[in-house]
Amino acid sequence: MIDFQSPQNIKLFADFLFCDKDYLRAIDEYEKYLTMVDDDSVGFKIAIGYFNMNDQYNAYQKLSLTKESSPFYEQSKIEMLKSLYLQNIDSSFYSSADILINSESIYSKNAFRLKNTSLLLRKNELPEKNIFLIPFYNDEEHTISNFYDLKKNPPYKSEIWAGVLSTIIPGSGKIYTENYGDGITAFILTGLFGYLAYTNFKHDHQTRAWIFTAVGAGFYLGNIYGSVASAQIFNAKVNFDFDEGVKFYLEEKNYFTPVYDFCK
Amino acid sequence: MIINNKYLFLLLVISQCTIYSQTDWVRWEKSDPMYQTNNTYLEREYDLSIESTSDIIIKPVVNTYWFFISDVDGDNCPFNPSCSSFFAQSINETNLFQGTFMFFDRFTRDTNIFGRQEDYPRFGIYHFYDPVSLYTLDEKKINYIPAKTYVKE
Repeated sequence: MIDFQSPQNIKLFADFLFCDKDYLRAIDEYEKYLTMVDDDSVGFKIAIGYFNMNDQYNAYQKLSLTKESSPFYEQSKIEMLKSLYLQNIDSSFYSSADILINSESIYSKNAFRLKNTSLLLRKNELPEKNIFLIPFYNDEEHTISNFYDLKKNPPYKSEIWAGVLSTIIPGSGKIYTENYGDGITAFILTGLFGYLAYTNFKHDHQTRAWIFTAVGAGFYLGNIYGSVASAQIFNAKVNFDFDEGVKFYLEEKNYFTPVYDFCK
Repeated sequence: MIINNKYLFLLLVISQCTIYSQTDWVRWEKSDPMYQTNNTYLEREYDLSIESTSDIIIKPVVNTYWFFISDVDGDNCPFNPSCSSFFAQSINETNLFQGTFMFFDRFTRDTNIFGRQEDYPRFGIYHFYDPVSLYTLDEKKINYIPAKTYVKE
């Protein structure tokens, strides 16, 4: 007769659910197991389960219960730091990062890397490049250096220059901000109504001429306005692409935390 | 007389129940289902309230255009909000002059048929998302959404 409620069988079932990525049920089974047996590795797995479900708060709460004597104590510290970063609790994140960096933990360099990379996404002033790149390994330095350069000198377009260009040649400001189709259209429309106004004035059709002048002026002024706006939107796109690039890189690197495989 | 009134009352009550009861003919009648989905896009916000000086001219013009031309012509603008709605919203958010410049710029972008897929997020199946907040020249209001992203209605 199999005892399904024995601690060993509960843990076996929980491990199966965990490896099957059914983290919610796995956590329930692990919690049931922990009421019978005191096991740090299971507590750590519960935290990893919460991470995988994107529940950073509960992951943090579980990790904070890890005892200093536990073999998972060092890992729990770096994982807690990761959780603070993902919860966007900046003040706690940076203070915890500094504590971990200045400790003798084997993950102090990981914390340093995560802290420095997170600075790229904040509006804070960045440190000098050589200081910024200290914690990164050779294979990471090139990518982080590129991010650093982009943060310091983003490829923005000047709103004033876009407006000036469109004032001189209608549509050129939009071409400057890489809206080629809109720029050509603005040039054609302004040119067309300008020409219509001119020919109607030349042939003494005053009413029509003034109507075309008014519409042409509207398109001309709208093109200048639109060029300035498109420069702003271009700059917003640059910021968005940069932030997404850094976030994707962090995700790829698993936020500089170890990767665990409990299912081997 | 009293007895007759009682019977009359009873007859009236019973007839009330039977008048609305389902008959075989009602049950087996051919139904006429409406397969057309509700197009919320075409639900115009007709509004003639005067909240500023520019509303005196703009709102009657825009509402007249919607009623006599746009709603009859159909859903032709590739953008959401449509150009007329964009005009009304831009004047609401800024002022008459800035709103007019925004409208002329929008009309230019509407006339451009090249490269829209690469420049605008999608709103529903048939429209591109192009809100007023991107063009007020206030950087804080710009909520950039990448091209080809589907924005929910």
